[in-house]
Amino acid sequence: MALKTIKIQCKSLGFRYGKKDILHNISHKFSSGSFCAILGRNGSGKTTFLHCLNGIHKPYTGEILINGNNSQFMSQREIAKSISIVAQEYMEIFPFKVLDVVVMGRAPFIGMTSVPDKKDYQLAINALTTLNAAKLANLNFNKISGGERQIAMLASALVQTNEIILLDEPTNHLDFNKKYLFLFKIKQLCKIKNTCVIASMHDPNLAMLFADSVILLNNGKIIDQGPTKKIMTKHNIDTLYKTDSAQIDISLTKKIFMPQSVLK
Amino acid sequence: MTLISQYSLKNNRKIIPILLIIFFILFLSSLMIGRFKISISILGTILSDIITGDTLSPDFVSQKLVFLWIRLPRCIMAVLVGMCLSVSGGVYQAMFRNPLVSPAVAMTISIARLISIKPIIVMVLAGMVVLSFFNALLMILKYFSDPYDELPSIVFWIMGSLTRVTWHDVFITLAVTSCGLLVFILLRFRLNILSLGDIQAKSLGINPFISRVILIVLSSFMVAMVVATCGQIAWLGLIIPHMARTLVGPKHETMIPVTALLGAIFMLAADVLARSMTTAEIPVGIITAITGAPIFCFLLYKNRGSGWL
Repeated sequence: MALKTIKIQCKSLGFRYGKKDILHNISHKFSSGSFCAILGRNGSGKTTFLHCLNGIHKPYTGEILINGNNSQFMSQREIAKSISIVAQEYMEIFPFKVLDVVVMGRAPFIGMTSVPDKKDYQLAINALTTLNAAKLANLNFNKISGGERQIAMLASALVQTNEIILLDEPTNHLDFNKKYLFLFKIKQLCKIKNTCVIASMHDPNLAMLFADSVILLNNGKIIDQGPTKKIMTKHNIDTLYKTDSAQIDISLTKKIFMPQSVLK
Repeated sequence: MTLISQYSLKNNRKIIPILLIIFFILFLSSLMIGRFKISISILGTILSDIITGDTLSPDFVSQKLVFLWIRLPRCIMAVLVGMCLSVSGGVYQAMFRNPLVSPAVAMTISIARLISIKPIIVMVLAGMVVLSFFNALLMILKYFSDPYDELPSIVFWIMGSLTRVTWHDVFITLAVTSCGLLVFILLRFRLNILSLGDIQAKSLGINPFISRVILIVLSSFMVAMVVATCGQIAWLGLIIPHMARTLVGPKHETMIPVTALLGAIFMLAADVLARSMTTAEIPVGIITAITGAPIFCFLLYKNRGSGWL
């Protein structure tokens, strides 16, 4: 069992967009080898939170410690060496090959004026192979399916770093089966490579299956946070989604939530 | 483990030597073709004379003058203009992630972009607005200009032409173009990343703002240089990068040199046509515009379904 260390710590983090408060007083410790899910309704600040963590947005108050270093004093490049992100969706890009997109993950390790060399491409191919997606390498990134794209982007994130990976609604474009497979892969990574995974998610049931800990976010404020089993209660789900939900027990350890209204 | 050798990393780099051969043949023939024909033997004599420093027999003096002061600077300028406009067009397209951005539109967008960051479609629209505004100013200028003296020169400038190129222009453009090309080639991998968009670039540890300022200032300077000496030469910045991408794919490692070569070839060919089709010279901007439109349509048709156009 690998040693658990704290990879990212945020201390009373706040973020403003103009005059609008998006995030308010968020404190949490993310440790290695654990999967943390961020749940919240649309517009609750999940994506903004992730973007604050990897330095895309600069926090308005508070601070973020990455491996114990204050991110305020780190360059974007340094941050990118330990944090990678799989974004929610990709705007159409030039018709790059998948391998070319994956190898771009090496950017923080490549000099300003150099290009990826054979070793970088080998790393990219290895990453695709570990995700059983080596066959995608020579395809046009714009022509593959949403699920394949998600896999390719995960490969790119892995090539960048497997210390901390942020996932922004990773199961958005995936079909029923792929959702589970994708999260299962992530969970494996988490355990094998001791990766710290932080994912914003829409489905509390998926979070319950895979996450070790959860953060419930409402209007940029934390309602509750902690180990999944403790936090995922009917009461919390009801407050978070402003609904009346029913808890359905599947087995002794597994349960799912569903809005009362559909059960009638 | 899958081996790297199973993948083709170099995107059709074979095409570069072929383009180089076409380029040299075209350059040599463009030195000979024109109102004032210079045969290949005379060209050889002139060239060897320049190299050895000998003086020519008197029959060749006029040929030598035409060659040295008109033909040669003009052909070199055609090469430079072609490279300059097409490469900076390619760089703009990568930075704005928009296939319809040509230097003319992007110059205005870039100013707006530096002030505040807005969605790219807004920028493109803003570019069109600013463009039409400046067109209106140009029309005012035309309306009030002296119809016998100033108006024709404005009109010719708008049409774009390489007729009045001097060595002085060539040297300045050469300096700017080589400087720009050098930077673009050095930053070739960064251009790939910038073309993914700002957020992606940032997560990959690249400050898109700084890279963008460097690239925009440089490419705008290159375009401004060419427009100031040769006027508006349409379509080049738009179609040549597309052509290059169709040939070798979007990776800037190969795409930038291929764009430069294609631009040079296209411009040389257009200029040869401009000065040899009719007895009076046709402004080269008209040639590029007439040939550019159908070529662009063809590229649109050919690249349909690649998910980007």
